Amino acid sequence: MMKALGSSRLSRRRFLTAGASLGIGTIAAPYVARAEDPTLRITGWGGKWGEIMKAEIGPAFESEFKCKLQTDSAFPYLPKLQASSRSAPIYDVLHTNSNEQWAAAEMGLVEPKIDPKLVPNLADVYPYAVSEKIVGVSIFTSAIGLGMRTDKGYGNVTSWKELWDTKYNGVRGGYVIPVNSLGQAFLMMCGTLFGKGQTDLDAAYAALEKLKPIKIVDFTGAMEKMLLSGEVGLCVIHDSGIYRYDGQNQPIDFVAPSEGVLSLEQVLTITPGSKMKELANAYVNYMLRPEVQKRLAETVWYSPANKKVKLDAKYDAKLLTTPEKVSKLIQVDWKWYNERKDEIDQRVNRIFRA
Amino acid sequence: MSSASTTRPNGVALFILPSALLFALFFFLPIGLMALMSALTGNPVVMPKVAFTTRHYARIVNDPYYLEVIWTTIRIGLVTTLVALAIGYPLAHWMARIKSRTGHALLLMAVLAPMLTGIVVRTFAWMTLLSDKGVINQTLMSLGLIAQPLKLMYTETGIVIGLVHIYVPFMVLTLTGVIGRIDERLEQAAENLGASPLRAFLEVTLPLSLPGILAGSLLVFALAISAYVTPILLGGFQIMTLPILIYQQISANFNVGFAAALGIVLLVISLMLVIAYNRALGLVSGQRELQ
Repeated sequence: MMKALGSSRLSRRRFLTAGASLGIGTIAAPYVARAEDPTLRITGWGGKWGEIMKAEIGPAFESEFKCKLQTDSAFPYLPKLQASSRSAPIYDVLHTNSNEQWAAAEMGLVEPKIDPKLVPNLADVYPYAVSEKIVGVSIFTSAIGLGMRTDKGYGNVTSWKELWDTKYNGVRGGYVIPVNSLGQAFLMMCGTLFGKGQTDLDAAYAALEKLKPIKIVDFTGAMEKMLLSGEVGLCVIHDSGIYRYDGQNQPIDFVAPSEGVLSLEQVLTITPGSKMKELANAYVNYMLRPEVQKRLAETVWYSPANKKVKLDAKYDAKLLTTPEKVSKLIQVDWKWYNERKDEIDQRVNRIFRA
Repeated sequence: MSSASTTRPNGVALFILPSALLFALFFFLPIGLMALMSALTGNPVVMPKVAFTTRHYARIVNDPYYLEVIWTTIRIGLVTTLVALAIGYPLAHWMARIKSRTGHALLLMAVLAPMLTGIVVRTFAWMTLLSDKGVINQTLMSLGLIAQPLKLMYTETGIVIGLVHIYVPFMVLTLTGVIGRIDERLEQAAENLGASPLRAFLEVTLPLSLPGILAGSLLVFALAISAYVTPILLGGFQIMTLPILIYQQISANFNVGFAAALGIVLLVISLMLVIAYNRALGLVSGQRELQ
């Protein structure tokens, strides 16, 4: 009896053992519980996009398809995919901008097209979302135009060419062209504005030279902050970078220039070596569902690719939600651009060096 | 018994083994792989046919733009080192010679305090000071001293200011130890023999503190030429340095081979500096074996 009582006494060793077991168990429990669930590895943006994906859209997908979504939002994605094995890629679905998707497709890292039989919602997208200028499918787009301060008395801005007006010297904003999609698209626009077309690089370089002095940033988030602080008065930006401050009484506005707006597509592709093809296609189809598109569009101010989406009036008035509005989008030939990227980068790095 | 003792592994060797393995795994292996990638046409792990090439290095040598980038990187490193030394030496001398323990502790805290904040935060703080709408320009403009904002950011000067602020503690801490070990009686003897305090400093303290100056300068220069965050934020991408170019090649051009070649160039610059440092140290301290 005494022995039994003694053996049940809580010694320090037992206490530590029990404590360690409890700790390990607590840490491991979620992984053990989910060990049976298949995992779909995707990429995705941070900020508002990341918040709603984590809070609503992602969990709803996990619940419906009995799987786990593992999202990498640490940009850049492509070098990581490039470094991973082709047969066991780091991602199943790659979400990034169109220029990078083209580079990925050229390297054989993603499948160039999505199979409409496996993704039925593809039948409902606007033609631009699956055009020959798109690898995979564009699930959303933004319009790249001009962002301006409304409290500086600049007057009515209607054309891209007003960015070259000397009154904006010191408050003009652009991008680091080698690393930014908006900057690259804008370079092509310069060819159209001052030359024979998008591919007139000489005209574009000459135009960029005349754009100095200009403040350049790498990400649109940085441009938004510069515009909000007044560091920049007129800049190249996408509509969602302005509209997301709607209702906050900020003295900024988006201008859709008369020459047309450039398309900044949010593109999904599937990696050829993915072991989760069925789930990957289901994810692409899910992201194109009208209700998912509506929720995301009204959160991050992206224009939905699905024609059937009906947005609330406030969003419908500003985003590209009709065939007429969508027809104003100018898509860039990223395949052509990427083939000359090294040459372009060398030239623009020289143009913008201090 | 004797055979057992001869086969027993050396205790010190066993003690060093983990760090040696760590060093081999996380230093030599990555650098070796980087050197290999810089001389290949592609990644052999994912590409079926790759061959040896010198094209990445030829691109660096043949395009003056890359040579300009290398020179800009070295220039920023040199200026940062010189300014950090000019600011750090008097501070280190003061710290080493201050009699009050409280005073020493306060100085040490003042030097270490900035290191408790992240580099990104400190650089953003400089941005709020140096930008066109920043504290300095707004103050000067409100006082009517300037009509247009001074161009403090997006210049090499802005980058150097940020880097000096970050790396001065490294210089001070390195120098304090060396100056603190110099016998003060040597300076007193020089002054007793008729030397002025300045001459005693120039002919006694300064030469004896040269190993510290070289070590601190080496540390600051190596950190400055490999800095990424500060040059990119304060230079606004208009000042291209090697680390920025390497990141650009990997993140946007996906050209790992060229990025690796640029990395090797950065490494070679650092190695040349270490060799030059060892030679200089050998010469000033008279220890020829250091060479």
